[in-house]
Amino acid sequence: MADIILAVNNVKKKIKKREIIKGISLEIKKGEVLGFLGPNGAGKSTTLRMVVGLSKPTSGNITISGFDIQKDYVKAMAQVGCMIEGPDMYNYMSGYKNLEMLNAMGNEVSTKAIERVVELVGLEHRIHDKVRVYSMGMKQRLGLAAALLHQPKLLILDEPTNGLDPQGIYEFRGIIKQLAQEEGISVLISSHLISEVQLMCDKVSIINQGELIRSATVDSLLTSKEVMWTTNDVHRAYDLIRGRISEASLVRNRILAPLNQEALPEINRMLFNAGIEIEQVAVKEKTLEALFLELTENQHIT
Amino acid sequence: MLKLTKNELNKMLLSKKPYLILALLIIFIALFAYGEKYSYDKGIERLEVISEDLSFNWENLAKQQIKDMERRLTSPYMSLEGKKAVAIEIEQLKYFLDNGINPITPSSAKFAVQFVEQGIVLLIPLLIIILAADLVSGEFSGRTIKVLMTRAVPRWQILLSKLLALLMMTTLVILLTAVLSVVISGLFFGRWGFDEPVITGFVMSNGSLSSNQVVQVSQLAYMLLIYSLAWFVAVIIGCISLMVSVLVKSTPAAIGIIMSALIGGQFLQFFLADWEIVKYFFVSNLNLTKYLTGSYQFIDGMSFNFSFGVLSLWGIGTLVISFIIFSRKDILV
Repeated sequence: MADIILAVNNVKKKIKKREIIKGISLEIKKGEVLGFLGPNGAGKSTTLRMVVGLSKPTSGNITISGFDIQKDYVKAMAQVGCMIEGPDMYNYMSGYKNLEMLNAMGNEVSTKAIERVVELVGLEHRIHDKVRVYSMGMKQRLGLAAALLHQPKLLILDEPTNGLDPQGIYEFRGIIKQLAQEEGISVLISSHLISEVQLMCDKVSIINQGELIRSATVDSLLTSKEVMWTTNDVHRAYDLIRGRISEASLVRNRILAPLNQEALPEINRMLFNAGIEIEQVAVKEKTLEALFLELTENQHIT
Repeated sequence: MLKLTKNELNKMLLSKKPYLILALLIIFIALFAYGEKYSYDKGIERLEVISEDLSFNWENLAKQQIKDMERRLTSPYMSLEGKKAVAIEIEQLKYFLDNGINPITPSSAKFAVQFVEQGIVLLIPLLIIILAADLVSGEFSGRTIKVLMTRAVPRWQILLSKLLALLMMTTLVILLTAVLSVVISGLFFGRWGFDEPVITGFVMSNGSLSSNQVVQVSQLAYMLLIYSLAWFVAVIIGCISLMVSVLVKSTPAAIGIIMSALIGGQFLQFFLADWEIVKYFFVSNLNLTKYLTGSYQFIDGMSFNFSFGVLSLWGIGTLVISFIIFSRKDILV
């Protein structure tokens, strides 16, 4: 119990008679990285805004390290660092001045701590330039530095890799993993980059139309594998395989079926014994993207 | 709170708005001082031409002005209200003459007072609005409000720090106005005039000027009084601007709304003097200094205490609304 850093309990949000968030619950433990996935308009930003106190839930509650965000706002927010929909800083000040200003709001950290966080995001050489001249990537790094300034236990990042080049995304991933594993910081990331979520996160929650539709560890979601056969007698092979695996499908002269690798040799033997020549057998890992699209197919933004 | 206020002051100073205010003050004061010197010199020239007297005497000038005004009173085109106003000015001048007090030679202290008397309704509020309108709506436009509101600081403290910074800057602006008007007009007129006597305490009662409660103070004392009133008006305008800034998330819209209120309010007083409710509008009560000079009021039933009270209520009311809304609203930018 003591190491549940974030608890969202049946949170609902109504805006002008429309229920945008229909009862979301989730939990993050210490050192966990949770990915928040969903199509546009699903309610990701709305939920994250409620977690950091920018919006008020219509019902339900949110606690951070046990502190309710409505009743113990200051104690709850002292544990959180966040970057919501963009790293918006004061353009007419330098990056360093921005950080100094934010430092003064709350428990102050030492100058050394500020320098440490600047080094962590890789901005040491440009930190004294005005934010006005920063590139998008630099602004994102500054935003991350601002979020990490007060050494929070929980990091909330809304689309943090927007505008980063591949090198930046790679470094960012490294920083997040380091923060989670070495410093035990819990991270909640919402992202559109499914591949990134797959690489960075331990758990994934998929949200659609204001509801959580799937919540699981990344590993468990990816153990389902798919096998693809190319043969010289497609139709007969297809009938045979479909007899064994009902979800088999025929796509462009190839047979696809979800299958565990242990059962594969048996199917191959069956085809061989029927006189069918197997030209190619490939095992595809079912990606998170495919799962995501499948779960949210035909959903319109309501 | 100290650190938060320091942050807000920093932001204000770095945003270059104080420099704009400084520039506006210098330009306006220089223009008005120059204008006054010019018209005074021209007045003397005309007088010298008319009376062929090279050394002029203020008493003659005053008598000349009274003659001019009495002539205006006979004009058929003047409204009743206008005639009343002119009649009061004649009475005042006669009082000065009778008591040997020179009312018209320009001096720095006099200019400083006049500048505020003229500017308290529009110019000084404009300067404050430049500072205040941006205070909250600027954070929304730049989306930095997200960063401010996701700290371990309750929302009301953030708004309070902005208010305190605004109050400090307002005080600074009023001080600057005083210093600049004295110094710049001193360059034009060459006279300080701090110890010239001023008569104040004229009271409007039943449409006529009563000199029963007049008292003589030094120009310096009068200046302090006038500037305190200006400071009060500036603070109230600041509070009202803060509320508009909280309600409207765009700085141009905030400035537009407040300026329309200020300018429209002037028209309201003039055209709708019959509506009771107009006197409760804050704009109708901004001109606190006119109560000291006994100028004619367009709307009956207004007195210094009344205006002071109305403005105070507006100030408190708008602050309450600002804090409530700021603490409750969802931030969607």
